[in-house]
Amino acid sequence: MPERGASCLDGQTTGMAWSVLAEVGRLLEALAQTGEPGYIDLRSLPLTDADRGELETLLGRGEVHADLSLAGASEVWETAYAGAWWIRHRGAGDRIAAEEIAVCPVPEILKTHPVDIQAASRRLRHDLQQPRDLQQPRPEPAAELSETTLETSHVCQE
Amino acid sequence: MSAKNNVPDKNTGPAQTAAQSPAPTLGETLAERGVSRRSFLKFASYTASIMALPPTAATAIAQGLAAARRQSVIWLSFQECTGCTESITRAHAPSIEDLIFDFISLDYHHTLQNASGHAAEAARETAMKENAGEYIVVVDGSVPLKDDGIYSTIAGISNLQMLEETAKDAFAVIAVGSCAAFGGIPGANPNPTGAVPISDIVTDKPVINISGCPPIPEAMTGTIAYLLSFGAIPELDHLGRPRAFFGEAIHDRCYRRPFYERGMFAKSFDDTGARQGWCLYEVGCKGPVTYNACATLKWNGGVSFPIQSGHGCLGCSEPNFWDLGGFYKPLSTAKNEPLKWAAGAAVAGAAVGAASAMAARNLRNKSLKAAAAAAPKTAAEEKE
Amino acid sequence: MELLEFARGPALTFAIAVFIGGVVFRIVSLFMLWRTRDSTANRAHERPVVIAALREIIRRMWPESVYKQRTLFTAINGYVFHIGLALIVFFLLPHIVFFDDLLGLNWPHLPNNVIYAISIITAISLIAALVMRIANPAMRIISTFDDYFSWLVTFLPVLTGIVATSHLGARYETLLGLHILSVALLLVWLPFGKLMHWFLAFVTRSQTGAHLNHRGAQL
Repeated sequence: MPERGASCLDGQTTGMAWSVLAEVGRLLEALAQTGEPGYIDLRSLPLTDADRGELETLLGRGEVHADLSLAGASEVWETAYAGAWWIRHRGAGDRIAAEEIAVCPVPEILKTHPVDIQAASRRLRHDLQQPRDLQQPRPEPAAELSETTLETSHVCQE
Repeated sequence: MSAKNNVPDKNTGPAQTAAQSPAPTLGETLAERGVSRRSFLKFASYTASIMALPPTAATAIAQGLAAARRQSVIWLSFQECTGCTESITRAHAPSIEDLIFDFISLDYHHTLQNASGHAAEAARETAMKENAGEYIVVVDGSVPLKDDGIYSTIAGISNLQMLEETAKDAFAVIAVGSCAAFGGIPGANPNPTGAVPISDIVTDKPVINISGCPPIPEAMTGTIAYLLSFGAIPELDHLGRPRAFFGEAIHDRCYRRPFYERGMFAKSFDDTGARQGWCLYEVGCKGPVTYNACATLKWNGGVSFPIQSGHGCLGCSEPNFWDLGGFYKPLSTAKNEPLKWAAGAAVAGAAVGAASAMAARNLRNKSLKAAAAAAPKTAAEEKE
Repeated sequence: MELLEFARGPALTFAIAVFIGGVVFRIVSLFMLWRTRDSTANRAHERPVVIAALREIIRRMWPESVYKQRTLFTAINGYVFHIGLALIVFFLLPHIVFFDDLLGLNWPHLPNNVIYAISIITAISLIAALVMRIANPAMRIISTFDDYFSWLVTFLPVLTGIVATSHLGARYETLLGLHILSVALLLVWLPFGKLMHWFLAFVTRSQTGAHLNHRGAQL
């Protein structure tokens, strides 16, 4: 089943993939020279399904691929151009809810925040102190969230 | 469902900005339920994208949402078909779009609430009192005014009364669906109940119109998310609709536009042109004059929208779309039946024409007679 | 949308009713006037009346050679905008759809961009006609309100049609509403000004042809 439903132009490429690729090139150059991250929201662009496929082929795949499960599935992979990451968020019924290309060292959504680390550290310390009983199910993780964990400058960070 | 919950105060947590009450922030509440920081970021990216906000807004949205209190929402349903509720809710597994229901505390909703009768009304009144000045009122359905509003009553009071008393201490009012935004079906000709839009009644605070029959779900959830994150109304058009979803006409983003430009139109449903996906102008598409996000966001999770399924746009997000002359009447036709008056007009014209011609003739005859009478006698007549 | 609804609804209904009533009024009131009988004898080489009438309609479609030099531009320019207007009105698809809905008649259409080019040419031609009228001292002296207003109600539909098709300047529903209102204005004015030549040109030319024919003029 096609991602966004069939339409008469879906099978045709319009050349948009190359425009987006050129934009990625500009952002990557800025990142390389000044360290400034960049971002392209693919959903807002008039890309046909064929265009998106062409862009994915042009950007290729790198060494890193991550599957995330948060409020539905999400995928993050580094393209063949180091520093250009493809982030695909899926929503209900596995349809693509949001899609972006992030030009940065590592997308923010992959990083673990210090406060989450502190909470996890506290929890592990607590678990280590429990009597060892292998029949007991481990408690479900519960991340601690607060305003300061979201004081990030952008999607990407140094 | 209320804004307060039973979580003990966390002293190790960060200072609460603008903490007027000890209620935990949204971030803290959702953390308890396992909604992670990453889910917040994902939702924020999604919301920023559909609201056509710049990418940097995703962080602001995530921060705003986490710092917000769980928003009390009172949903009033008046003269409506419940289609708007159907549109905003989901039947399948929780997903990014469902997160909105974690961000709000839906304190009153006829279809979704457990309580009924007096208990339901008590829940509404409690939510209004506890969140005075801060709760959002979502309304679907129009309000009848004729005969003191007796044509739609809930809990013994008219819709008008319920709206006035509930909206009084609300922070904002969202009129969801074309009935609430513009009058919709009940307001269509001849409007027997005197149905009016919500904005005709609530005039002292902002009313956001999210029109559509029903509205696209993302239009509703995206606007609520914006309100929660920024505590402000998004940019609205001249009809009070968020520009993010209603800023462009269907026609401007329709994938069949190239056929329109080239003059290739389907003449009827299922003819050759229709099967090849040609423009639906001739079968009544109102796309050129309708503003909505159907052509981009589409329906049922991006599956399709009316034009893609072969039916012309109904114009359902515009005022009075039921009275535009008919869904299958193209835009370039007359709305009513002008030739109904043709025979009468011709008869009237003929009558006036005949009358003026007769009057001219009479005038001429009179002046001829007068000239004959006044003329000097001829020589022959003189002789007599 | 209110402007468009008004234009497509009450405005068009009123305009079409006034148009039909007005045209019938003008024609009936004209034909019911008295006729001056010409009892003179038949001339030699007199053609049948109907033939003479038709001949005159056709003969007057082009200037006499005596006047041709001075009136050539007006004649050609006149044909340009008359033919242009006919092509736009009867061969643009949305217009055909309008007639189909009103009268049940249907015929093939021309491509949109062809009509677009024709409408630009027609607009320029109409402006040229106005410029000629104003620049020529004799024409300027004898021109009345009827001349200028008839020009305006003819030019406005062409202009608003071009603007609406180009989606220029305002929301499309406003542009379309203005276009339809301009057509309503044309319909309402037509029976009562010189635009009535739509129908009367054939009447007057026939009458002149029949009369001159009976007087023995060799035309």
